[in-house]
Amino acid sequence: MGRNPAAVVKGSPRKRTTSFDGSFIPVERFVPTCEIRLKWPIPVMLSIVVGKPVWTTYRMEQKKNGKRNYQLKECSIQDLKSDSITLSNPGALSSGTDNRNIVDDGSSQKLSMEEIVNLRDEGLSSKEIVGTLIENSKTFHNKTEYSQQKYLKKKEKKYFEYVTVRKPTVRLIAEIMFRLDQGKIMGLRVDTLSQINTAVNLHSHGKYIVYESGCQGLASASMLNGLSGEGRLVLVHSGNYPQKHALLALNLTEEQENCLISVNIYNLLRKLKGTCGSETQTASVDTTPVKEGVESSDVSFEKEVDSSEVSVKEALSPGQSLENVTDTSETDVKDQVITNSDQESTGSGKRKLSESGNDDGSAKKKSRWEVETDRAAGLLSSQKADGLVLVCREHPSSILNALLPLVAPSRNFVVYNQCREPLLDLFTELMKNPNVINVRLTDTWLRYYQVESNRTHPLVNMTGSGGYLLTGVVVDSGEK
Amino acid sequence: MICENYTNIRKILLFRPHDLRDIMSFHTHKTSIEEGDTLMLYLSPSSLLTITVNSLTKNKHGATVENILQTTQGALKVRNLIGQKYGSRIELSKGSAYALHPTPELWTVTLPHRTQIIYTPDISMILFQLELRPGCIVIESGTGSGSLSHALIRAIKPSGHLYTFDFHEHRASVARSEFQSHGVGDFVTVAHQDVCQNGFGSEVERKADAVFLDLPHPWEAVPHAVNAMKDSGGRLCSFSPCMEQVQRTCEKLRGLGFVEISTLEVLIKEYQVSARTMSVMDLDSINANDNGPNAVWKDPLKIVSCNAPLTLAGHTGYLTVATLPPLLSRVPIDSVNGTNQG
Repeated sequence: MGRNPAAVVKGSPRKRTTSFDGSFIPVERFVPTCEIRLKWPIPVMLSIVVGKPVWTTYRMEQKKNGKRNYQLKECSIQDLKSDSITLSNPGALSSGTDNRNIVDDGSSQKLSMEEIVNLRDEGLSSKEIVGTLIENSKTFHNKTEYSQQKYLKKKEKKYFEYVTVRKPTVRLIAEIMFRLDQGKIMGLRVDTLSQINTAVNLHSHGKYIVYESGCQGLASASMLNGLSGEGRLVLVHSGNYPQKHALLALNLTEEQENCLISVNIYNLLRKLKGTCGSETQTASVDTTPVKEGVESSDVSFEKEVDSSEVSVKEALSPGQSLENVTDTSETDVKDQVITNSDQESTGSGKRKLSESGNDDGSAKKKSRWEVETDRAAGLLSSQKADGLVLVCREHPSSILNALLPLVAPSRNFVVYNQCREPLLDLFTELMKNPNVINVRLTDTWLRYYQVESNRTHPLVNMTGSGGYLLTGVVVDSGEK
Repeated sequence: MICENYTNIRKILLFRPHDLRDIMSFHTHKTSIEEGDTLMLYLSPSSLLTITVNSLTKNKHGATVENILQTTQGALKVRNLIGQKYGSRIELSKGSAYALHPTPELWTVTLPHRTQIIYTPDISMILFQLELRPGCIVIESGTGSGSLSHALIRAIKPSGHLYTFDFHEHRASVARSEFQSHGVGDFVTVAHQDVCQNGFGSEVERKADAVFLDLPHPWEAVPHAVNAMKDSGGRLCSFSPCMEQVQRTCEKLRGLGFVEISTLEVLIKEYQVSARTMSVMDLDSINANDNGPNAVWKDPLKIVSCNAPLTLAGHTGYLTVATLPPLLSRVPIDSVNGTNQG
């Protein structure tokens, strides 16, 4: 499946009244017949949202005919208000002053698990279910007001299902990706992502290089979002195709797509050195080692380091071996490109080309990657870049050494890594480089707060690390 | 487009000749240093200066003299900078320095403080949370020393615009001339106005994509912010050092129909990296027959250490961010104070 989200769907019950506790689901390949899986493993058709304005909220409702068969129904603001128990009758519930008489003996809820499940299957509305739960709770009326609110919030979250369709923005995409699986984006947290754009001094008209591997295009999406039509972003990658998940999620305009040039690092450096032979030769030579390198490093990485990622992938495609998992991710990337070119109405010819590899048919006409390589090399050899960003799984040192000469003096570079150690290596190395100054190694700390009257405190859970950044300025010292 | 060019020309004509060349310094990069440029002189990681390249200056008697700057690396004849390349090494009598392009980040660490300022880690998060990109209309209050303003302008130019307000007349006018001399005057409108009392004015009504508040009583400006924001909604961010301010602001935001209200804090830690040699005691070769204390050492080990700073900013301010939904999806609870019900 290719991924082409056109909208960000946020599922959250009390989203409209409380802060920041929704779950986010990106819609994969948005078409009218698209289905999403929210809380239950039951698909819900999204056809209803087509043609409706963004920010419309829908309620998941059980269809009359069958068990666990849901459909979306548009909600008006009035519906939402009357749905919410806490909003529709605030202060109507009696409450206790403290918990001295509440004993947790497992018997406070008179209804059994089966009875509650039956309520749901009978097609009772979520509000009715929660009402029944309260009626049958021995302790609810003795709970303090705060504790009641917490209880309701929990129950509303469990039994109410709302979906709000939102326009994708970098902020939402970054939050979703971090929340869903931070391993897939190398733990690149929003605060660190935001530091990258300022550290590289991102101007809308500038020309920037980003080398990205292992963060699903998030860093390049965030940079591209800051460029106007005059800006250029050269997205350098080591495989056949860049990872564009986040970029595709952004719904790029044509103008933005024109700002983006993706190029394989080997092809780019070869081209810039001027050592490449005829175009056909390059094509057949480069694909094999590059592909192997990616595959082997991917496999070993998943085996040794990130077992959680493997389990996620296996869960998605059960019955596949580890090698197959890697293969799927490869095809996945290919598919993304296919969908991309499909949109540009090149159609089935392109599809054939990518399926059978790059060397097919390139003798006659330059393939897309060759055109892109020429474009990138032309851009970077005519004038040096205004900044360089590295967000990579590989050790950054060799990549930085190769790309830093392409950056103009008095411009900044930023290297992100989830671990501090490779950046320490890089730091000591750069101290010896006369053409780099102002090298700094930093990390940022991020804490969220619950702000309610008389109950303000930092959130109980926080993330331990958002990754590390090494920043510096390229200068021309006159030395080599 | 034509209209924009015309305003450009009008503004340029008002300047003295050297300002004409200076006009691009924060906006675009250029190769060589010219008279009138603003640049950053990098002496060491902890020593940076912002200088304006004026070959001549007035001494205390009012006479025009050669502009010579005393730095920690020795004296610098400012005239000698002209014609040098940006990013090149400048030889000084006791060492050297680098002439760098001005950036909002370097400006933040070198600017003359007129108020408490917001620093880069918070600025980055503010830009990100406000979802700024080229073309956005953004409101800032107050202008203060202009630390954040430069970064806001960079994020929204060339097609966007910053409206910045300060209730202090002098600060507003100094900021205005700073933006002009930094070459970004076309992207910003500075107003001397008390926004808590009088709002943001009709010029920006229903125009803004994002509003930033750094005020002693931010909650008073929130209803005005709703008025200033587009019908399609937008983002708001308030920076407050005290939790009491945050609580009142959050209450107001909830009341006016803001969603995704979130309060957060960002701090930066800069590590001290150093290569060290550590001596290693040899305790394996101890003998029962040895006499007295005798230190035996193994070969020393070389390590690269990475230390957190001894002291660092442990608090700057709380950032409260929120989304104003489009007009049709807004649910203001606080109907008495709700100001923007269509």
